[in-house]
Amino acid sequence: MDTKLQLSAVPHLEMGLHDGRPVLGHEDKSQLHGTDNMMHKSDFIHMSEGGSFPGVSCAGSVKMLSHGICRSIKIVLFSNKLNLLMPFGPLAILVHILTDNQGLVFFFSLLGIIPLAERLGYATEQLACYTGATVGGLLNATFGNATELIISIHALRVGMIRVVQQSLLGSILSNMLLVLGCAFFSGGLAFIKKEQVFNKSIAVVNSGLLLMAVMGLLFPAVLHYTHSEVHFGRSELALSRFSSCIMLIAYGAYLYYQLRTQDNQYEPLNEEVGQGSQNVDDDDEEPEITKCEAVLWLTVMTAWISFLSEYLVDAIDGASNTWKIPVAFISVILLPIVGNAAEHAGAVMFAMKDKLDISLGVAIGSSTQIAMFGIPFCVVVGWIIGCPMDLNFRLFETAVLFITVLVVAFLLQEGTSNYFKGLMLILCYLIVAASFFVHVDPTKDNDSTLGT
Amino acid sequence: MGPADERMELDSDEKIPLSTPPSARKSHTFDFEAVHFSPRAGPLKLWIRKQMKFRPLRSIYIVLLTAKINILLPFGPLAILLHYLTGKHGLVFFFSLLGITPLAERLGYATEQLAFYTGSTVGGLLNATFGNATEMIISIYALKNGMIRVVQQSLLGSILSNMLLVLGCAFFTGGIVHHEKVQVFSKAAALVNSGLLLMAVMGLMFPAVLHFTHTEVHFGKSELALSRFSSCIMLVAYASYIFFQLKVQPNLYGQISQEGAHEEDSEDEEAPEITQWEAIGWLAILTLWVSILSGYLVDAIQGASDSLHIPVAFISVILLPIVGNAAEHASAIMFAVKDKLDITLGVAIGSSTQISMFVIPFCVVFGWLMGQPMDLNFQLFETATLFVAVLVVAFMLQEGTSNYFKGLMLILCYLIVAASFFVHVDPSNDDD
Repeated sequence: MDTKLQLSAVPHLEMGLHDGRPVLGHEDKSQLHGTDNMMHKSDFIHMSEGGSFPGVSCAGSVKMLSHGICRSIKIVLFSNKLNLLMPFGPLAILVHILTDNQGLVFFFSLLGIIPLAERLGYATEQLACYTGATVGGLLNATFGNATELIISIHALRVGMIRVVQQSLLGSILSNMLLVLGCAFFSGGLAFIKKEQVFNKSIAVVNSGLLLMAVMGLLFPAVLHYTHSEVHFGRSELALSRFSSCIMLIAYGAYLYYQLRTQDNQYEPLNEEVGQGSQNVDDDDEEPEITKCEAVLWLTVMTAWISFLSEYLVDAIDGASNTWKIPVAFISVILLPIVGNAAEHAGAVMFAMKDKLDISLGVAIGSSTQIAMFGIPFCVVVGWIIGCPMDLNFRLFETAVLFITVLVVAFLLQEGTSNYFKGLMLILCYLIVAASFFVHVDPTKDNDSTLGT
Repeated sequence: MGPADERMELDSDEKIPLSTPPSARKSHTFDFEAVHFSPRAGPLKLWIRKQMKFRPLRSIYIVLLTAKINILLPFGPLAILLHYLTGKHGLVFFFSLLGITPLAERLGYATEQLAFYTGSTVGGLLNATFGNATEMIISIYALKNGMIRVVQQSLLGSILSNMLLVLGCAFFTGGIVHHEKVQVFSKAAALVNSGLLLMAVMGLMFPAVLHFTHTEVHFGKSELALSRFSSCIMLVAYASYIFFQLKVQPNLYGQISQEGAHEEDSEDEEAPEITQWEAIGWLAILTLWVSILSGYLVDAIQGASDSLHIPVAFISVILLPIVGNAAEHASAIMFAVKDKLDITLGVAIGSSTQISMFVIPFCVVFGWLMGQPMDLNFQLFETATLFVAVLVVAFMLQEGTSNYFKGLMLILCYLIVAASFFVHVDPSNDDD
């Protein structure tokens, strides 16, 4: 019981609830299952979800269910300071319905999505505690960037292909340059006397995968722009789809390889997904909510994010007109900064705790995931729904990605970090951001299909 | 058969006093010989004459009938027949391709055998020059017909297939066979080769970019002059690279000259199997044979492209080199499985370096001599492909380790490259 209170960090007021009925069953169960912490919680949950244990009345079980829900809500929704931003979500919907101010709608929905993204990561991490390191790693690898994927799928459905391409590209750039740079910088300043080191081999494998992703993106773009396709416009789409399948296979092989050869590496990575919240302090793999709750929250968060993304995506054009900034800048810079805010905070925190491997896993691993999984996945989804999403990210974006990957791969190959490297990465990001501030697509249609 | 071998050895020793000591060769029994010798009862002259009769047969047997790949030999004459009897360019192309494969392998074998007699220095030089003789012969033929794009694309494809496919397959199979440990190779050699490849890419990039940014002093002509000058520079660089290798790291070359795909040589002895003159003779014969077949191959490319409905670029970049490199491919995989990654790297990356720093400039110079405007402007798409591929491979190699995942990545990269060329035609639609 004490453990429950400590982990869930519920306010003093709620202690009364916990001191009540649950303790009965808990003590019953404790005789049968020993004093394992996890067992206590699962006993509690079995009861709260309409459990069929003897000695618990039906009316009591309903009350326990509601208590369970309240407790769950409190853990998930109210224990994190970031969740102050949650009301902005409904506010954005209100503003959308009441006024025509697309800029405000965009801004508010952006703010509303931040805590949801963070909580989604938290729920994924909690679920990973139950499923073990292997499936946990897979979960993290797939849902780590669920927010970007959800936003992209929404944009694909309305045919805003350029927005999808640019937001995914921006996510890669922000992870590789901004998040990594801030982490290196703050870690370097915190540990100014020594040089922080990280595991070179993981960085090298990830850099290799990023280069392969750049290759996959480069060929369709160059093929199209040298006008050397067999069927102009269409060959490049077929090539993109084929390359996407290859990249998905490569990503699958990468996951298999990681999980086989480096099983121990995934343990710390599981914990760090829910960064920004306080439960990582003791480095335990103690889950705070039950497995079913985790799955439930996963679904709820995904649905909520999905809902808000629609308003977000619809408001992009209006926001661009209102604020007089190019759509490219919004998609490449603003969207990802906000979408990655939680990962950003986590990476910086881990760097300052001298756990650079985890920071690197967050930053570069996320980039690799988007480049080798998110982008090809969107191409395949577009293929399925009939949207001509391709890997031709236009020359400017492809060139930016190429140079960035080279710079980062080069900086990472040494295996050490200091504040200067971090500063260089941040300044590179500023240059990239400035470039996109003055960038429009050549034919001026920002969300069209293959017409260009 | 046993004692007769030794007698034969002695006689050949008399004829070629400069060859390796007899003890080394005595230990290598020719037990696959098909001829039996009567005991040494008659006069010496008669015996020598008997020997001379049998030597060509023996030689033919050793060179032509002992490697399983030589089953493909009949496809050569078959291709020639088809060329004259039917008009099916697709079949002619396919058969001549199959016919060249064993010839290329035997050519490598003959080169390696000759290298035993000439010592490791000249042997290394021989390997460095003739290691890609097949590609050179095909390219010279195509140049003579003015098919410059085919030359450029086939050489490019050879580099790509060596760097990505051969190396990837070797790393992959080696990694799976030795999956409990991480295979290592000499970083220094890999880095030197990567540096040379990058320099070759630079040599190829500047004419292309110069031409496509329309910034030449004399449009079209400056870029050709620049190509010719760059080619000479690249040849100088390659020569100094060979010099550097032979003087500074002689053992490296001794190892590499041994790697000519020999299953019989598994005990790592450097014993040759045919004599020096035979080796030279076979070198000449095989070169001639490859030349003849190349003629038909090159002539059939355009027709094959039309009848098979695939772009000429795909045929030149992907199909030609895969077949041309089949022997090197097999040997690289074999050495990786035996955990001799340095030799594998020498085969794969060394071959790429050789083509990019020697064969391509050589073709440019040869074209210059023949009056063909072969240049280093490989068109933007091909140049970009080479650039990215070299970067990816240089990056993969810089760590000095290998595992099956790296091999798989390289193979998948090659698939992406192959797919790109499957949907690629030249912008102006003229292949030469």
